Amino acid sequence: MAGYLSDQHFIAAHHLPAALIDLAQDQGEDLHRLLRHTGLFREQLIRGEARVSAREYLQLIHNTRQRLDDPELAFRYGQRLFPGHYGAVSSLLGNAGSLAQALSVFTDFPALISPLLASRLTLTDEYLCLQWLDSCGAGSQWRFLVEAAMTGVASVTRWLSGSPLPWRFQFSYPCPPWPEQYQVHLGEPLHFAAQMDAMILPRHYLDQPWPQRAPTAWLAARQECERQLSNSGAPYSFRHSLYRFLQSRPADPPSLQESADHMACSAATLKRRLAQQGCHYQQLLDEVRLHQAILWLQFHGYSTEQVSRQLNFSDTTNFRRSFKRWCGLTPAACQRILAIAMGAPNGG
Amino acid sequence: MKPLLTLHYRSLLAVVVIANLVLLLNLGAGDIKPWNAIVWLDIAGEGGAALLSLIWIGLILNSRPTGRVTRLLVAGLTAIFLAYWQDVLDEFIQLPAAITWDHWLESGAMPLGMILLTLGIYHWHREQQAINRQLLKRERIFREHRSFDPLTPLSGAHYLREQLTLELQHPQQPVSLIMIDLHCFDHSRRLLGNADSDRLLRELSELLVLNLRQQDLLCRYAGDRFAVVLPATERTVADKLGQELKQAADSFAFKTRRGETHAVSVHIGLAVSHDDDAQTLIERANRDLARTLPHRHQAA
Repeated sequence: MAGYLSDQHFIAAHHLPAALIDLAQDQGEDLHRLLRHTGLFREQLIRGEARVSAREYLQLIHNTRQRLDDPELAFRYGQRLFPGHYGAVSSLLGNAGSLAQALSVFTDFPALISPLLASRLTLTDEYLCLQWLDSCGAGSQWRFLVEAAMTGVASVTRWLSGSPLPWRFQFSYPCPPWPEQYQVHLGEPLHFAAQMDAMILPRHYLDQPWPQRAPTAWLAARQECERQLSNSGAPYSFRHSLYRFLQSRPADPPSLQESADHMACSAATLKRRLAQQGCHYQQLLDEVRLHQAILWLQFHGYSTEQVSRQLNFSDTTNFRRSFKRWCGLTPAACQRILAIAMGAPNGG
Repeated sequence: MKPLLTLHYRSLLAVVVIANLVLLLNLGAGDIKPWNAIVWLDIAGEGGAALLSLIWIGLILNSRPTGRVTRLLVAGLTAIFLAYWQDVLDEFIQLPAAITWDHWLESGAMPLGMILLTLGIYHWHREQQAINRQLLKRERIFREHRSFDPLTPLSGAHYLREQLTLELQHPQQPVSLIMIDLHCFDHSRRLLGNADSDRLLRELSELLVLNLRQQDLLCRYAGDRFAVVLPATERTVADKLGQELKQAADSFAFKTRRGETHAVSVHIGLAVSHDDDAQTLIERANRDLARTLPHRHQAA
């Protein structure tokens, strides 16, 4: 399975991109300026035939942010995103009978519901953690995408479950100059500069039945989504497919050639495709291992020594050095931040 | 929003037609000067002035709705433009000495234009005073157009922090801050749709302004949360004002586009300054608000 590429035209322009266009037009923006350099035209949009690539979608976001310099934009976009009007995948999400089913839409069909951001769901006895991952080289739009996706998921799960869910939010980046947007649209607790972009919830919410459940409609929509994917290509992006492969082997990282074989391309092609997104193989490998280490530290209560052993480091000193290189913090310092994010009593 | 310029196509058309008429009159009455008699420096100076006055007309038309003030400003600038335009044409076209209307156009249009423009600016000033009175409770002390909120006619959180910082410079006077949050607005937005829920926020902001004192300031904090700064206000007074705001908002019967009533209710948080800076005061008001919010869980 190769995964979709960032210049592959498969995102229906009248779905997720149109939600952003409508939002900008509601605020009085000129359509032609929004569509500049996106390869899109108004007529195509209305006919509902146009497909854009991830890169063109990112260009649209760039244009909109240039025109509407408003920190609330991402949050307002997020509020409109889900379940949305995207055909089968929207009806799949809208008919979810539980949080588990709703989140499976994001983890199983990112190409249809969230082509720019992939998600990784980690479950422990106590917690569920929905982590957002870069699919197509978001670059400077990363924070915007995270803000929109988190607002969208928090909002749609509140709507479908009939009551607000007590999400905790954790961000890889430091607090931007608009904390108020996070406070109001997402709600506390919020933890910035905490290594990954994730939403955390007590595990028992996962399987609570939701009031609007429609099991048959759900199953039918799921089949339709699978059919759409088998016609149009892969559920995951190339980068995320590779991430998943690397994720399956954190202790013995595959060589570049092994990965290329798995992705059914040459090593040179793999390097080129990652380079197009401003990424390289070792960087992705480090990212996967860092994420795994953080998940173990944060949710499984592993000690630094245990993580170091699990990742197959020869000794903890070596692991500490690598960890510091990955994220700029020592494992102990990182562990303190993560403990605060988990609401430890000593946290401020 | 439609560009304002399209509202004024008649005015623009008039300017173009008059400029062309003057050109035709000149061409009909005079002869074109020989190449070596043309003074390029004069043309650059007078032509530049004519061009600039055209740009002013464009900018004014594009920034104002139609009306008396706009008409005065544009009429004044058009007269000034015509005076310069005749000046420029003089450089190219030699009119016979018997013709005097060109002098009238050159020397008469300019003072006339100046008078019209002065009148226009005077009325613009009066209009601005009226707008300022309307804006009084929404912006204080200084204007910063970049801090305007695109959704409601209020300023945002950035302006709130600036104004609070200014108010907190007088430690002997307590400053109260009220946070107002709509009950389950996320739910309302999905029921009402995007256009109506945006309008709900706008109309609620108008309603809240009506219930404030002269010196109070209303901002939109973010999303469906509003903030009210009450300068030099003790807790007892602030409490009472907060309750009044809550009562006003709770009895607001918002009408959807289909004419149905959508009842709203709000939650109120209050903090009174006590050795605070803007940030901690906002934090305390938000925390007080979180106490009353049923739909947000408490942090551990």
